[in-house]
Amino acid sequence: MDAADSNDMVVAEELVKDFPRPDGRETRAVDHLSFRVPKGTIYGLLGPNGAGKTTTLRILSGLMAPTGGVARLAGFDVATEPREVKRILGFLTANTGLYQRLSARELLVYFARLHQMDRPAAEARVDQLIDWLGIASFADLRCGALSTGQKQRVNIGRALVADPPILIMDEPTLGLDVLSNRVILDFIKRERDEGKTIILSTHYLDEAEDMCDMIGLMHSGRLVAEGDLESLRQLSGEHRLSRIFLKLVHADEPAGASAS
Amino acid sequence: MRFAHSVRTIYAKELVDILRDRRTLIAMVLVPIVLYPLLMLGSVQALSYTVRELRSERFIIGVLNERDKASIEALIRADGVSLANREAELDPDLEDFAELPRPLNDDVKVVAYASIEALTGKIQDRAVQVGVVFPDGLLVPSPGVRNPIELHADYGEVRSANAARRIDAMIARVAEATVRNRLKAEGLPESFVTPYDVVTVDLSTESSVLGEILPLILVLMTITGAIYPAIDLTAGERERGTLESLMVCPVPVLDLIVGKFLVVTTVAIMGATLNLTSVTATVYFGGFSEMISSEGGSIPIGRMLLILVCLVPFAIFMSAIMMAVCSFARTFKEAQNYVTPVIIAVLIPGGIAALPTSELAGTMLVMPVGNMVLLSRELLLGAHIPFSSLVFVLASTTIYAAAAVAVAVKVFGQESVVFADSGSLKMMLSRRLIKPSRCVPMSMALTIVAVLFPVWFYTQTALAPGEGESAAGSIYGTAMFMPIFFALVPIALLAYGRINLTCGFALRRPPIRYVVAAVLIGISAWVPAFELNALQQPLFGGIAVDAQSKMIGEALIEIGPWMAFLAIAIVPAVCEELFFRGLLLGSLCGATGKWTAIIVSACVFGVFHFFLAKFLVTAVLGVVLAYLCVRSRSILPGMIAHVLNNGLGVLFILYPGAATMIGISDDETLAHLPLHVLVIGGGLFAAGLLATSVRRVSVDGTATDTMPAHANAR
Repeated sequence: MDAADSNDMVVAEELVKDFPRPDGRETRAVDHLSFRVPKGTIYGLLGPNGAGKTTTLRILSGLMAPTGGVARLAGFDVATEPREVKRILGFLTANTGLYQRLSARELLVYFARLHQMDRPAAEARVDQLIDWLGIASFADLRCGALSTGQKQRVNIGRALVADPPILIMDEPTLGLDVLSNRVILDFIKRERDEGKTIILSTHYLDEAEDMCDMIGLMHSGRLVAEGDLESLRQLSGEHRLSRIFLKLVHADEPAGASAS
Repeated sequence: MRFAHSVRTIYAKELVDILRDRRTLIAMVLVPIVLYPLLMLGSVQALSYTVRELRSERFIIGVLNERDKASIEALIRADGVSLANREAELDPDLEDFAELPRPLNDDVKVVAYASIEALTGKIQDRAVQVGVVFPDGLLVPSPGVRNPIELHADYGEVRSANAARRIDAMIARVAEATVRNRLKAEGLPESFVTPYDVVTVDLSTESSVLGEILPLILVLMTITGAIYPAIDLTAGERERGTLESLMVCPVPVLDLIVGKFLVVTTVAIMGATLNLTSVTATVYFGGFSEMISSEGGSIPIGRMLLILVCLVPFAIFMSAIMMAVCSFARTFKEAQNYVTPVIIAVLIPGGIAALPTSELAGTMLVMPVGNMVLLSRELLLGAHIPFSSLVFVLASTTIYAAAAVAVAVKVFGQESVVFADSGSLKMMLSRRLIKPSRCVPMSMALTIVAVLFPVWFYTQTALAPGEGESAAGSIYGTAMFMPIFFALVPIALLAYGRINLTCGFALRRPPIRYVVAAVLIGISAWVPAFELNALQQPLFGGIAVDAQSKMIGEALIEIGPWMAFLAIAIVPAVCEELFFRGLLLGSLCGATGKWTAIIVSACVFGVFHFFLAKFLVTAVLGVVLAYLCVRSRSILPGMIAHVLNNGLGVLFILYPGAATMIGISDDETLAHLPLHVLVIGGGLFAAGLLATSVRRVSVDGTATDTMPAHANAR
C-alpha cells in the first residue's frame, strides 16, 4: 500500500535470488537488494558483468520468481500478481529475438492484440509507433531481413505497444550504431518527459551520465551506491561516472568477495 | 472473453508464421505431392518387376541319371501340350487368359548329377534350384501302379522354393489330365473322383487390403505433420529468443499453449490431408489400384472422408504429445533428440495394431495409438463398431491428450526452461529443488490418471475370471492391487514432489455435520442408484449387469462376510476417495471452477469402472461424493458414505433376509423399489444432500472450495 500512496512506481525490498548449481550448492545472484524508483524518472542500474542486473530486471518483470524479498510495480506484487504487473510493464532486452517470418507491422499488431487491444485500436497504436520510431521504411519487411538497429527499434515498439507506465530496459543500445542509438535514447527521454517510469541497465557510462536521473551501482548482487550523479560525485570525489564506477566497485571488492 | 481472444490471436499469428516457413512447406506440401507418388510408383514398379521376374525365372533341375532326365522332360512336354490345348480353347479376349500357368518348357534346364550328395550340395550352393528323383523310375502311368517322385529343394530360399512349387504344380496338372483321360476311357463323369466341388466366394470389400495398410500410413503422416511445428513453436521460440518477450505479455501460459497446440493440430491435419489426397490420387490416377485393393476398384470418397474424421482425435492426441515432449527442450536439436524415441514408442503399438490378427477389443481398446489405428481400420472396412468400444477409444485418447497438454503447460512456463542459464531439466525434476507446495499441480494429477488408466484396465482384464471360474480371485486381486495403484503410488509421487499430503489428499478433520450428511447419503444412496439403473435399463438391456452382479454375489458368499466387507466396502472406499476425491478433485479445484472439477472427476471415476452400463450410476455417485468432499474440504465424509453404500450392497447379497425385512420381496424381476422404500430412502438421501449444501454463515463459507490458508506450507 505504501507504494501506491507514495510517488514510487517501482519498489524492491530485500530482493534475493539464488540459482541452483549442479554441485548442489547455490549461487546468490541478487543479495538483499532494495531500491525505489519515483514516477517520471529514469533509474540507471549500472554494474560490471555478473553483478546481477539482468536477474534483478527479470525479477521485476515477473519472469523469475525471487527466492526472497518483495518487488512491487505500481503497488502490484510481482510474485503474486504477475498478470497485473505484466499489463503495466514494457520490457526490453538487447538480445530479444523477433519473429523472423512476420513483418514489423504484423509483429507489433500481434503484441498489441496480446495486450487485449481490439484490432482497430491495435492498428492505430502501431501506426503511431511506426511513425515515432522511424520504422515506416521497413515496416512491411520481414523481421528476418532487418539490421540490428532496425530490429531494436521494432523491439522498442513491441515493449511500448500497450503504452505501459513503467519501462524496463536491459541494455537497450547494445551493439547499435550512433544513429540508431540516438533515435532510441531520444525516444526514452521523451517517454520519461511524458511521465513514464524507466529502469535502464547499461554498460555505456557516458550514456548513463546523459540519461539517468538516478543511478544505482550494483556489484555482486548488492547495491554499493545509489543517488543522482551529483551525490555520487560527492561520495567518491570523482567527476566522471567511469571513475566513480571504478572507485566504488573497487572499494566494495573485499566485501564482495565474501558474498557467495 | 479474454481466453478466446488470446487463443485466437496466438492461433492466427502462429499459423501465419508456420505457413510462411519454407521448411514447413517442404515437409507438408512438397514431400507428399512429389515424393510420395514417386516413391510409390518406384516401389510398386520394383515390386511388380520382382514378382514377374520370379514367376518367369529360369531354373535348373538336377536329376541323378539320363533316364530320370528323360522322365522329367517328358512330363514337362506333356504339360506344355495340354496347356497349349487349353489356351487354344480359351477366348484370348477374356481376362482369365492371363490366369493360365506358364509352361515350364523354356524356363528350365535339366542337368544330371552322379550322386544324391552331389545334387544336394549343388542345391545348397544354389547352383541348382530343385532336384527331382524317381526312386522307382518313371513307368508308364497305369492304374494300380504308384509312381513316387521326390522333390529336393531348399524351401527356405525363395527361388528354390518357387521352382519346387512350379514343378509340384506342373506334376499335379499332368496327373489331373491323366485322371481325366482315364475317366473318359471308362465313360465316367469327372464327378466320379471329385464328389464335392468347392467354390470360394470372396466377400472382402474392395478396399480391405488398403484398409490394412492405410491406418499405419495415416499414423506416420500425422506424426510427421506434427513434429516440425511442435518443435518450432516451443523449442524454436526459445532458441530464437522470442520467448522472453512473449512471457512478459499479460497472457497466461495456458492460453499460449492452447493456441500453439491448436496450430500444431491444424498443421498435422492439413499435412495428413494432403498426404492422404496425394496417396489416393497416385493410386487412382497411377493405375495402381489393383495392387492395393483386391477388386481393383476405386476408393470411394466417403471412405476417405471417414478416415479424415478418424484423423482429428488422433492428430489432437499426437500434437499434445509432441508439444509436451518439445516443451522440455530448449533448442531445436534437443527437441529432435526427444522426439525420436517418442516416434519409436508410438510405432510399436501402431505396428501391433496393424497386424491383421489384432482386434478392437480387450486391452487394444485403451492402448494409445494402437486403438486409433484399429478404429480407423474398422471404420474403413465398414465394420460395425460397438458404441462402448468407440467410447473407450475416445475417452482414453482424450485422457492421454489432456494429460499431455497439462504437462506442456506446466513445463513451458518453467523458469529453468525459459532461461537457458538458470539450471537444466535435471534440476527441474530434482527433488531438492522442488518447492514444497500444498496443491497437487494439474499436470501431475492428469499424468497419474493417464498412466493409471491403461494400467488399471490391464489389471482388471488380467484379473477377470474366465468362463465358469469363480470371481473370488478377481475380488482378492482387485483388493490387493487397488491400494498399490490408487493409494501407495500417488502417495509416493506426492511425497517426491514435496506436496503436503494432508492438503494434497484433503485429509482434514471434517465438521461433524458433514459426517452426519455422509451417513445419511451412505445408507440411502443405493435407492436413487437402483432407480437410475432401472431407468437406463432399456438402453443396455441389463443382462450384462445382472450376470456380473450374480457372479460377484456367488463369490462373496464363497469368501465370507468379513473378507467380503473388507474387499468390497473398505478398500475401494478408502482408495477411490484418496485418488478421485483427494488427489484428482483437489488438483482440478485448484485449476478450474468448482463444478467443472466435480463433473470431470466424477466422469473419470465412472470411466475407471470400465463398464459402460455402470458409467452413469458411478458418475452420479461420483458427483455426490465429490460435492461432499468440496463442501467439507475433507475426503473422510466421502469415505464414510462410500463404505456404507458398498457395505449395504454386500449386506443385501449375503443376507437376503435384510432386504425382505425392509419390505423388498425376493423377486428377481423387480423393476422398481416399493413405494415406502422410495420415500424413506429418497428422503434420507435428500436430507443428506441438504445437510451438505446448507451454508453456515459463521464458518468461512466463502472459501469452501479452496485450500485453507492456515495449512503449514512445510
